[in-house]
Amino acid sequence: MYKKPCGVFDETYAQDSALVRTGYRWTMLALFLIVLFGVLPFFAGNYLMDVMINIAITVIAVLGLQIIVGFTGQISLGHAAFMAVGAYASAMLSTHLGMSFWIAMPLAALFAGLLGIVIAMPALRIRGFYVAVTTLAAHYIIMWFILHGGNWTKGVSGLTAGEIRIGSFSFDNELKFYYLAMLFATLAIFLTSNMMRTKIGRAMIAVRDNDLAAEFMGINVFKIKVTSFFLSSLYAGVAGSLLAHYQGIITVDQFTLMDSIWMIAMLIIGGATITGAIMGVVFLKILHQVVLFGAPAIGHVFPAFAGSAVAAFMQIFFGAVIILFLIFEPRGLFHRWQITLATFRLWPFPY
Amino acid sequence: MNFFLQIVINGILTGFVYALMALAIVIIYKSSSVFNFAHGSLVGLCTFFVWQMVVGWGLPLYVALFLELTVIAALAYTLQRLVLKPLTGQPLMAAIMATIALGEFFSGIVVLFWPGPGRVLPVWIKLTTLKFGPLVISSESLTNFIVCAICFAVFLLFFQKTKLGLAMRGTAEDHTLAQSEGVKVDLIFVVSWFVAILVAAIGGVLMSSLYGVSYDSLHGLGMKALAVVILGGMESILGALIGGLIIGLVESLGSGYIDPLVSGGFSEVAPYIVLLIVLIFRPYGLFGYERIERV
Repeated sequence: MYKKPCGVFDETYAQDSALVRTGYRWTMLALFLIVLFGVLPFFAGNYLMDVMINIAITVIAVLGLQIIVGFTGQISLGHAAFMAVGAYASAMLSTHLGMSFWIAMPLAALFAGLLGIVIAMPALRIRGFYVAVTTLAAHYIIMWFILHGGNWTKGVSGLTAGEIRIGSFSFDNELKFYYLAMLFATLAIFLTSNMMRTKIGRAMIAVRDNDLAAEFMGINVFKIKVTSFFLSSLYAGVAGSLLAHYQGIITVDQFTLMDSIWMIAMLIIGGATITGAIMGVVFLKILHQVVLFGAPAIGHVFPAFAGSAVAAFMQIFFGAVIILFLIFEPRGLFHRWQITLATFRLWPFPY
Repeated sequence: MNFFLQIVINGILTGFVYALMALAIVIIYKSSSVFNFAHGSLVGLCTFFVWQMVVGWGLPLYVALFLELTVIAALAYTLQRLVLKPLTGQPLMAAIMATIALGEFFSGIVVLFWPGPGRVLPVWIKLTTLKFGPLVISSESLTNFIVCAICFAVFLLFFQKTKLGLAMRGTAEDHTLAQSEGVKVDLIFVVSWFVAILVAAIGGVLMSSLYGVSYDSLHGLGMKALAVVILGGMESILGALIGGLIIGLVESLGSGYIDPLVSGGFSEVAPYIVLLIVLIFRPYGLFGYERIERV
């Protein structure tokens, strides 16, 4: 949590409960938003826009995972499957029933959320490790249903999703979609930050820290677990829906178990906070780009590896990065960043 | 009726391989309470390495066996020393993610060195095909069954009769207590990883005689072993055997009776559906210890 610098006091309730608490932070936030929305889009090409859109969509999904992993303390290995549910529900509603994105997306998200509740039902009896295995099983079962959905999900050949439009304005190129995706991501960050300050959010953290004590204090642990599964799947549904309509076509290959693992990896690398989640997404997506451009070079040096270099090095690097972070910095980049900030606040004095 | 019997026999024979795979996970869990999600990848890695030595480099069988054992020992020591030991005392999530990440890492290595389609291993043991009237037991299935049964017997004897086995059982009960009695707990962890990876290699080679050496099916085999372990109970060797047979049967029945109705693939998810049902009604498995936990 953010700590106020020396000499800043709250004098009113409004100040005390403000999300952004000092003028300095307001300035930095405003600058960041201006760069994000005003400057970057005009200097970046389509490729960078595409990467940024992917980051924005992943941020939404990972924030959902953060609710379940970081705040409620349950491990979910089925997040990609919930994204798939959102993506396919939204694509089916828009393709088969001709609904607009603005109706299909909330319905798809709601459907993913409700499915999350169904999967979470065993959570009444189990915790920790068993939740991980339950969601793993759920992943395989959900993906099987999607693969064998016949004409509804179009199996292996991929399902199309209509483009997003408001009236006659259509989000048909990267630049337009960038604004939409970033808007959703910003909204998701804002809502999550605020939710963690409400009763439900604090109850989630209580359940994570000690569920017996939480129950003793009058928190309905089962209800909180189910709520956080619902919210987590809801975020995944929104992210999946955006992904479906951005790409225009979705296949089952886009939602593998590995994607779920990468999302957890993002949380581990960033550190399980909201800022940490964003840092983790950005870090891993940059690493992804590095491998994407670096691996062919390695394949060039060692021709024996050329055929499979990108796919192989992606897995090798990601596995290694996760293990290295687990061993050397289990609290993630966000923790490192805070230490750096604290050091520079007093620099050049040691304390 | 014959169709049914044939399916049951196939299921039981495949189930023994699953049971062997589950045994590997149980051994590690019992001694070091780490649940090995990397098992699927280890099965793949070891089997491809066997292929590389025997077919790729054309080594004689006994040299390949010796090399394989050396590599597995080195791998077990490295894993324990570099990855799992630093993570002692970290939360549950860290151990789970570490083995998952290891799995990714090994997948990457397999994809890097052995890209493209599957490979074929030579057949070493050729038994006759058994026929009981209309029922057929293929030579491969029979070999698998015999090897698995021998492995199970050897490991049970090892755990019950040898001093090292006793030390491993002791470590499984209580790390601190075992250490104070003079058991080298670190060594026990390395030994249990060694045994587990060895079992993974055996199972992988056996399955390859049925489906060829393909990474996806080997990895899937390891993942199904997870379902077997949960079903049987995480600490129970008997549970691994019974769970393996049940999962083998369910899969076989699913592919015989339900696959034709839903255009295939149901046998792939049937183990996970069983797993979900077990988790709802009996989360600690059929033979696991019922831990009284705060839930």
